[in-house]
Amino acid sequence: MSATQQALAVGRATAAHRPRRSTWFGGLHGADYAWAIAFALPYIAIFFAFVLYPICYGVYLGSDPALYRDLFADPRYLTAVVNTLLYVGIGVNVKMFLAFLLSGFFMRKSWWTKSLLVVFILPWATPALPAYISIHWFLNGQWGMLNNVLYLLFGIDGPVYLNDRWLGLAGNIGAYIWKTLPFWTIILLAGRMAVPTELYEAAEVDGATGLRRFAHITVPMMASLYLVCTLLDMVFALGDFNATFFVSGGGPAMSTEVLATLGIRYAFTVALPRLGVAAVMSALPLLIPLVIMLMRRLRMSEGQL
Amino acid sequence: MIHLSRRSVLRGSVYLAATGTLAKPFIAKAAAKTAVVWMNQGFIPQEDAAFKKVAEDYMKASGNTLDYSIMPFMAQNQKTISALTSGDVPDLVFMDAPSSIIPQNAWDDKIVDVSDVVAPYESQLADSAKLCSTFYNKATKQRSYYLCPVKQGATPFHIWGDLVEKAGLKISEIPKDWNGVWSYLKQAQAPLRAKGMRKLYACGLQITTVGPNDGNNVFTHFLIANGGENIVTSDGKLHTDDPVVREAAIKSVEFMTGLYKEGVVPPEALSWNDADDNNGYHEKLFMMDFDGTLSTELALIKDKQAFYHDMVTLAPINKNDGSPMKTQVGTGGGFIPKGAQNIEVAKDFMKYFMQPEVMNENLKGGLGRWVPAIPSLVKSDPFWLQSDMPCLKPYVEEAVLNPTLPVYEGFTPAWGQANAEQLWGQAHADVIKNGMKPADAIDKAFKRCNEIFARVET
Repeated sequence: MSATQQALAVGRATAAHRPRRSTWFGGLHGADYAWAIAFALPYIAIFFAFVLYPICYGVYLGSDPALYRDLFADPRYLTAVVNTLLYVGIGVNVKMFLAFLLSGFFMRKSWWTKSLLVVFILPWATPALPAYISIHWFLNGQWGMLNNVLYLLFGIDGPVYLNDRWLGLAGNIGAYIWKTLPFWTIILLAGRMAVPTELYEAAEVDGATGLRRFAHITVPMMASLYLVCTLLDMVFALGDFNATFFVSGGGPAMSTEVLATLGIRYAFTVALPRLGVAAVMSALPLLIPLVIMLMRRLRMSEGQL
Repeated sequence: MIHLSRRSVLRGSVYLAATGTLAKPFIAKAAAKTAVVWMNQGFIPQEDAAFKKVAEDYMKASGNTLDYSIMPFMAQNQKTISALTSGDVPDLVFMDAPSSIIPQNAWDDKIVDVSDVVAPYESQLADSAKLCSTFYNKATKQRSYYLCPVKQGATPFHIWGDLVEKAGLKISEIPKDWNGVWSYLKQAQAPLRAKGMRKLYACGLQITTVGPNDGNNVFTHFLIANGGENIVTSDGKLHTDDPVVREAAIKSVEFMTGLYKEGVVPPEALSWNDADDNNGYHEKLFMMDFDGTLSTELALIKDKQAFYHDMVTLAPINKNDGSPMKTQVGTGGGFIPKGAQNIEVAKDFMKYFMQPEVMNENLKGGLGRWVPAIPSLVKSDPFWLQSDMPCLKPYVEEAVLNPTLPVYEGFTPAWGQANAEQLWGQAHADVIKNGMKPADAIDKAFKRCNEIFARVET
């Protein structure tokens, strides 16, 4: 067994021998148990009021089957479903891959990398609405900065990005990636920093360098965290309203609408809130498995990165 | 010293919860003369100040209390729909543009009938204000007043007069017919570009497929100008099977997409939102716009040169057949959601607000962005027709003195749904992007419109 394998084995053994909690009351008895209940009650009440009740109310609002008949009869609905899948599938995976690569870059210890990291975080720290509205104007075909730069540098007039479904959708996805990439980069950077340096040192002793260390240490150690982050971001992206609403506005001709914006449009533009809830609820078949996978993953990866 | 035991803590918690629950009705009773009012924020601060003054004056005069909140329009819209859905409602909602909320909720019997509030003023109200305030209730199977009308707004042309002159044209020579206005002004683009304004467009035509409102509003005015005003009648019926309406719709799409294809409309207009045309106009990225109320002008009120000299406000005059143009007006005011705790005070406040002198002072305070729902006021008060604000007179003439139509949303909630789907913007996109003929694009839009109306009527 190489030094690296030995080091990895120690980590696994530690995780494997973690004792399981077996008692339902956490070992509390009598007065201690009553006190514990008394202190937990406010939190339970808040959970019921602000988590369980809204969910149940949403289910109640969207429970009429006639709503779904109306929904499926709307030609925009199918487009919104396809766009949502593309938005989540491409937006999340491209972003997480970039975040993974960038987290490696930001592991460098030079001062300028750290300075760059501060600048890199800015999009995430910027409030979402002005940021997305700026991108909407940035992409404006006539007066936007992008086409003006193209004209100044190359003398060409760029396309009218938001008049085209695929460019508009790409704009929304790009904006979402730009806005949230720094956050996930920082999370993965923290994950990389938690990988024990002994593993890399042991690998170096074994003669592994560069790509091999990345493939045999970084990737396996980060895999669990990467997957959890991806699942979590998929849940966020499914409900994301801001990027689509403020960048393309769902246009042209509703062709870049996603379920979150379609739901809001039903609820507040047409004043049919139940139909709006039904539109969002129709994402549950995708959302629930994601949450279950996430929970299972979190339980399985206890004690690991 | 008080000894805290487990039992005393638990017992105390139960007492506290019980006291809180039981005390609630008495708190409500103590505030029996207080009404909760939600008001939408005005476009200019003067509108908010004018509303506050009415509220304060009412409180002094009546001894009642108004617990009012002023919030941005979109927030108020969402808050109100959420409240109507959950049943936890305010006593009064005061809104500039309630046409997306009231039709559906009056239809669903979720709003209080306010006929008794409106009755004393009914004979003085403009016809369009009356039509915009009465809605069909599916439960009672009749139309009734669900809005206490106070203000009205119309859609004028906003033109950069200095650019018109720079292009060698004259405002006084703009033709009176609807299409003529557009055709005349589009000529300005070439000379202005020749003078170095490389990216200037002549027409800020809201041909958008995004909405939510402006594109539908512009199309409807084209439809009226081409003789298709009966697409929806006051009984809420759709008349897409009327050949006159169909012909008018086809002509409208033909003309609008024609302007776009000629290159006198910014290409981006297909995906504009409601703010994009305002922003573009203010930046002089195009020369003219057709957009609701005087907010376009009032936004630049601090720029004396622009407000008093460069901008020109123009009311549409004639349809394309030479008969007088009817522009659509929307009506704003107060409505009371069912379930309100203090209907009595809410109604009393609206009775106070609808008094002609109160209404007039309030709208003057808002610098005339909205005009009174009682037309005689603009004739009796020189503020409206002899103001030093150049934008006001043509706007008042259009919204009050010239023939008007109510917005179709007041006739049926189905029209609001058709607009929300951006059917007319989609028809333009079908012609411009998909190469469809205007007749086919309109037939496609009408087919979907028929489906929406059929669903609402059943």
